[in-house]
Amino acid sequence: MSIIKFENVHYTYPGDQLESLCGVSLEIEEGSFVAVLGHNGSGKSTLAKHMNAILVPTEGKVTVCGIDSADEERLIQLRRNVGMVFQNPDNQIVANVVEDDVAFAPENLGVEPKEIRRRVDEALKLVGMYEKRQHAPHLLSGGQKQRVAIAGVIAMEPKIIVLDEPTAMLDPIGREEVISTITRLCREKGMTVVLITHHMDECVGADRLIVMSNGSVVADGLPAEVFADIGLMEREGLTVPETTRLLYDLKQRGMDLPLTALDVDACAKEIVEKLRG
Amino acid sequence: MAEIIVEQLRHVYSAGTPFEVAAIEDIDLSIPQGQLVGIIGHTGSGKSTFIQHMNALLAPSAGKVCCGGQDINESKLSRRDVKHQVGLVFQYPEYQLFEETVYKDIAFGPKNMKLSEEEIDQRVREAAGFVGVEEELFEKSPLELSGGQKRRIAIAGVIAMRPGVLILDEPTAGLDPAGCRQILDNICAYREKTGATVIIVSHNMDDVARIAERIIVFSHGRVVMDGSAGEVFSRAEELIEIGLDVPHATALAMALKKQGLKLPEGIYTHEQLLSAILEIRGAAVC
Amino acid sequence: MLKDITLGQFFPGDTIAHRLDPRTKLLLVVLFIVALFQARGWVAYGTLTLVVAVCMTLSHISPRNIFKGLKPMIFIIALTGVLNIFYTSGTPILPGWIITWEGIARAIQMVLRIVLLITGTFLLTYTTSPIALTDGLELLLNPLKKLRFPVHEMTIMMSMALRFIPTLIEETDKIMSAQKARGADFETGSLMDRAKALLPVLVPLFVSAFRRADELAVAMESRCYHGGEGRTRMKQLIFQGRDYIALALGVLLLAGIIYLKKWGL
Repeated sequence: MSIIKFENVHYTYPGDQLESLCGVSLEIEEGSFVAVLGHNGSGKSTLAKHMNAILVPTEGKVTVCGIDSADEERLIQLRRNVGMVFQNPDNQIVANVVEDDVAFAPENLGVEPKEIRRRVDEALKLVGMYEKRQHAPHLLSGGQKQRVAIAGVIAMEPKIIVLDEPTAMLDPIGREEVISTITRLCREKGMTVVLITHHMDECVGADRLIVMSNGSVVADGLPAEVFADIGLMEREGLTVPETTRLLYDLKQRGMDLPLTALDVDACAKEIVEKLRG
Repeated sequence: MAEIIVEQLRHVYSAGTPFEVAAIEDIDLSIPQGQLVGIIGHTGSGKSTFIQHMNALLAPSAGKVCCGGQDINESKLSRRDVKHQVGLVFQYPEYQLFEETVYKDIAFGPKNMKLSEEEIDQRVREAAGFVGVEEELFEKSPLELSGGQKRRIAIAGVIAMRPGVLILDEPTAGLDPAGCRQILDNICAYREKTGATVIIVSHNMDDVARIAERIIVFSHGRVVMDGSAGEVFSRAEELIEIGLDVPHATALAMALKKQGLKLPEGIYTHEQLLSAILEIRGAAVC
Repeated sequence: MLKDITLGQFFPGDTIAHRLDPRTKLLLVVLFIVALFQARGWVAYGTLTLVVAVCMTLSHISPRNIFKGLKPMIFIIALTGVLNIFYTSGTPILPGWIITWEGIARAIQMVLRIVLLITGTFLLTYTTSPIALTDGLELLLNPLKKLRFPVHEMTIMMSMALRFIPTLIEETDKIMSAQKARGADFETGSLMDRAKALLPVLVPLFVSAFRRADELAVAMESRCYHGGEGRTRMKQLIFQGRDYIALALGVLLLAGIIYLKKWGL
């Protein structure tokens, strides 16, 4: 069942001449992990901001959990179903203590204090930050701050979590922490995850990869399939995983290999088997 | 010419308090003029502290840093002069832009050097050229531009001081692949044209492997490896152990070796990996 | 260097002083300040000093921390002392001198008053987290909501400001280093030069503060923030027995000081 539905969505920022989204139509399945890849200015962030009605289409329609995003009466109801995590972890943490920050969203929703406590503890345990619940956020590492931000939206108990370049400001360790956390949320908790990024490494584990360019969807499919179209990826100024590139180049030179092995070990196995004949 | 020599460098934060920590210690290095050096290490390994010693923003707790034979911390004057010789571009440098126009912002450094108007004008145009900023942008406000453009203008602001040594802390952080490539190309072009020493701190191993002639690895405040890309990345297991990534090609080569393929040591680019595999295939066919 | 500033710093702990309801502590500070300004004689000052000393012991705050906090105020304290020594009429300590016995006594009392005032408020901020403080303030000021006073908006602004102080300080440090690397000089030149030299720091700082504010607003809205209406709190503040006892002691202290004033002590 699709939980997010874009129908011919157009969007132009106030004061802009050019459209930032030009007729995007897509549906996202409940419980899936979808990665959205694109260079800067491709419209991928604009797409994300339509998913919780921070932006409302200038033309077309967005439906999330059956709620029309243009329906202002049901705005809060829509937003509590969609957790948003942004690029800069510093600019989304509101409180001086980790657990107070995580409590912010349920407090806004008027949840009972005891229930808030339970949700906060659970959310912090899910992202592995329970031990740091009494800490001041500014003393945490980038990856830890971003995990607190994730806990802060999980505490709303949303069905969907949308992350807009959550790793752009993190080091490799922080990036790994964030990606493994959201992968777990999708696989174990059945949450729908939409990950906006320009790191191709982070798309490898997704169920589906969407490539955006100039406000339109230019590719949409299984990550391995999308990456296999190396020509398209290069035209879009994006890189492809080393695995796909190597398989592609070997195939070009006459080795008959499928391009579907994205995982490093799977790719190595394919190549070695082929070499041994 | 400006060879950099670092002797027994040590820096301690919060000296004399219970929070005293040595951020770096026992650093001995010499970097000859014109070398392109990549510095890698995880967050908190001391690499940022190290580069801030190169232009006397931080003073050593012990040891010394010499640039062109002169101890840079010798006097107030030497500390000022070294800032003109060693240009330091911080992480997210676009956050330091402040002038009303792009031109004025690039001119800020040369102006602080008290150069003549013509000299400043010449340097601004030259620096803008290096980073591919067109003159049409000169009268625009830096705040109106895109992220990648802002980053390049900020780098031009340092290049305009014509430093003999250019140090960049994570120059490509947060940019998309096309933006990254452009910035690295700009930096390499600057080095080729001027013969400057370039030191790049980066988390992106593929970038470092591609451009650096020499790689220095920091861990827990010490230099743990120092050599060519081939030498450093042939010790991939050790790098992974201290919490660092390896280039994608190296990771894939390791996986292939685990499967029993006999690949040479020290593979770190796609091309090397590709030709090594093709060679094995060729040998098998023959 | 900027990192060393202590601004309403909180020392986490688990003493009786930490456990008191923030509302109680706020009220106690008010009672204490009123009492301080009612004090006239040595007995009253002595009593108040003793009370502060006891509170310091109870909250495990060392005199050293208090001194650190007093440091920036030393000039004002010294000035008050000196002015009082020279400008109080009475019996000169030696014939012909301006300094009078009354002046010395008054100077000591005034200095004591400022030191006790600052120490008292420090004890509040040292033992109460900023968030508890703003929560307490919001609840205490709640009745003002009836008069259309924006209590929630004011307190959320306060807690937001406190949250971003360390972030902005860190950012200032970074921008200063970056501009220094471009040859900016913040340390030499006339006062005017130095004020001008701050421009390259202040402009980026403001630009970034506005950008942060923008992003934060979007993030807060995404987390369903829609003003104070219908909000609940995870940490409910409930008065305990100890709060009533502490407040009773506070009232008793004030009454005692007023009583002493009657007798001129």
